[in-house]
Amino acid sequence: MDFKRLLLVDDEEGVRRFLGLSLMDMGYEVETASNGREALDIFDSFRPHIVFTDIKMPVMDGIDLLKVIKERSPDTEVVMITGHGDMDLAIESLKFDASDFITKPINNDVLEISLERARDRYNMKLQLREYTENLEKLVEEKTNRIVELERQNAACQVVQGLSSALSDAAQEVETGYGVFNELPCLVSIHNRYLEIVAHNRLFEERLGNQVGNNSFDIYSDRTSPGNACPVQRTFQTGKGQRSKENFLGKDGEEIPVTVYTAPLPNKDGEIELVLDISVDMTELKRLQDELLTTQYKYRRLFDEAPCYITVQDSDLKIVEANRLFKRDFGEVEGHFCFEAYKHRNEPCEGCLVDKTLLDGESRQRETVVTTLTGEQKHMLVQSAPLHDASGRVFQAMELSTDITEIRKLQDHLTSLGIMLGSMSHGVKGMLTSLDGGIYRLESGLKKGDRERVEAATRTLKAMIGRVKKMVLDILYYAKSRELETEAVDATAFLRDTADIAEARATAHDVEFVRDIPDGLGLLQADTAALSAALVNFLENGVDACESRKNGRLELSARRGDNGLVITVSDNGMGMDRETRDKIFTLFFSSKGKRGTGIGLFISNQTIEQHGGSIRVESSPEEGSTFIITLPDRTGR
Amino acid sequence: MPKKIMVVDDDPDIVDYLVSVFEDHGYDTCRASDGISAYEVAMAEKPDLITLDIEMPHEWGPRFYRRLTSEKEFSDIPVIVISGLSGIHLAIRRAVATIKKPFDPADVIQIVREALGE
Repeated sequence: MDFKRLLLVDDEEGVRRFLGLSLMDMGYEVETASNGREALDIFDSFRPHIVFTDIKMPVMDGIDLLKVIKERSPDTEVVMITGHGDMDLAIESLKFDASDFITKPINNDVLEISLERARDRYNMKLQLREYTENLEKLVEEKTNRIVELERQNAACQVVQGLSSALSDAAQEVETGYGVFNELPCLVSIHNRYLEIVAHNRLFEERLGNQVGNNSFDIYSDRTSPGNACPVQRTFQTGKGQRSKENFLGKDGEEIPVTVYTAPLPNKDGEIELVLDISVDMTELKRLQDELLTTQYKYRRLFDEAPCYITVQDSDLKIVEANRLFKRDFGEVEGHFCFEAYKHRNEPCEGCLVDKTLLDGESRQRETVVTTLTGEQKHMLVQSAPLHDASGRVFQAMELSTDITEIRKLQDHLTSLGIMLGSMSHGVKGMLTSLDGGIYRLESGLKKGDRERVEAATRTLKAMIGRVKKMVLDILYYAKSRELETEAVDATAFLRDTADIAEARATAHDVEFVRDIPDGLGLLQADTAALSAALVNFLENGVDACESRKNGRLELSARRGDNGLVITVSDNGMGMDRETRDKIFTLFFSSKGKRGTGIGLFISNQTIEQHGGSIRVESSPEEGSTFIITLPDRTGR
Repeated sequence: MPKKIMVVDDDPDIVDYLVSVFEDHGYDTCRASDGISAYEVAMAEKPDLITLDIEMPHEWGPRFYRRLTSEKEFSDIPVIVISGLSGIHLAIRRAVATIKKPFDPADVIQIVREALGE
């Protein structure tokens, strides 16, 4: 603590010089002033620790100076210098807080004592001030210290908790239970003597039983302590380490690993054990490979599944599509499902995926789609939700199975059912007619009524013919037979066919005209099927002319550029546009209960099977013409 | 004097059959092949009973029946429905009987006799 700036105030220059020199000799930094006013002028800039002042001075005396100084700087020590006879003034100055007074002539010893006392007083005052001023700070410091201690205490507890958790973990390794044994890592625990205390099962499998061995023994390139193996470094630094190392395997092979260590402190915060978790890089690689294989396997399942699969996001945009889908609908990823799959500009009515995204329920329905190649397919579409990690539905899968063939079969069976249902009515009529024929035949014979017998016989013949045809039609439809083609003479074949039809035409008073020239050449045909088809056209012609006057049916044939052209024309009732469009449809009949709706359907099929085509010209009340073209090389 | 039965069916073989059965049992007969001609025949022949098919060209049985029974003299004429259609018993509610094809002639005669109060 410095106490050296001294201001000496006296109106006698001799005193100032003589005393000033003495004080400087004592080590003080001295300024002088000749009266109170001068002293105050330099007081603020000099800021003396102690002032020596004479009492009796001109301009401003020592008492006044004392008062001002004590007012400005109460800490500054002021020592009064008095002449003899100034004792009253000296005592008065003490009232104004002067430190001391010394008398002229000044004795050096007295001066020194006075200075010493002034300095002590100054320092004491300063210290007292400091204590007072610092009391608050002190309280704050103490408080902080207490808080800090509390915090350390809490931290200590946390560390203890952590260390006990890690101890438990270490315990798990030692006892062979728990999660550590499931980890695809080599886990070991080391003590401070760099000995292996425990390790997990995988560690033992790869490195053999190392319990009790040195920590550094497990490395392929570290053979002694002091080689800074990660465990050792952990004990030294108290911090977890991470480094790439090579372990020495059970069979002497090197195992590249990444070593992670963690210090396990005891309750006092000293590191007791070190946990070493090493990731076997080859194992990691193997797991990655396994994952890739699995992913590849699922990718292949996804791609090779014999159905269309798409994954769609909440906008119905296709995120992923399998190979089959892309084959039939192109590169669709990123496109809207309704665009790519259904060729629409807006979402489909009642979109399954949309509903599934909303409520997470699977749904299914049937639809028809058209592939890039224009193929129409009947699909059974199913939707299923895809959940993200939090269990929220974020995408949906749409799976479509091609059920075109099943549908065809179903249609076939359904039509067969409808056919049998619709025909049962006709069959009942036929059976009744047969009953009638038999009844009239019997009763005619009994009565000897020849006319009735003949009529009954005609009925029976006709009925048996109709029943036979119907049964054959059904059999034909129920079993789609392959054509058995042979090369036949077209002229002879057509004339034979004409003979069959002519009988019926004549029976119904319909004029039958045939125009079948010689030398039509060979025809490759299944004669039974083709003959039945042509007879069917001819019989329809007869039916069309029935109960009309001057009915006329014509069968003609020509060898044309594209093959054999057979024309069947009648001047019967004809057909309107709607009937004409439907005549080849299964179960369409314009003949009421007399038709089964199968005849022309099958005839048309037969002609198609022969590679031929049928053109129909007809107008109501004028007649119909069927133009059948059979190519030269027919049959399959 | 024998009662007269009108047979209405578009299948001439069945008409022949029924006419033969009725004549063999001593009834007079007349015939028609559809509803329109049946109305004219009924007006001309004044039958005592009608056997009626349901499904026929031009005019079906039920419509013919409504038209005929709206004439005062035929309002109570007994009608027997003979048809191959299933569910025909509802076609004409006031029919005295409904017979399905194929039928037994003896049953038909039995029903006709009861209907004519014989």
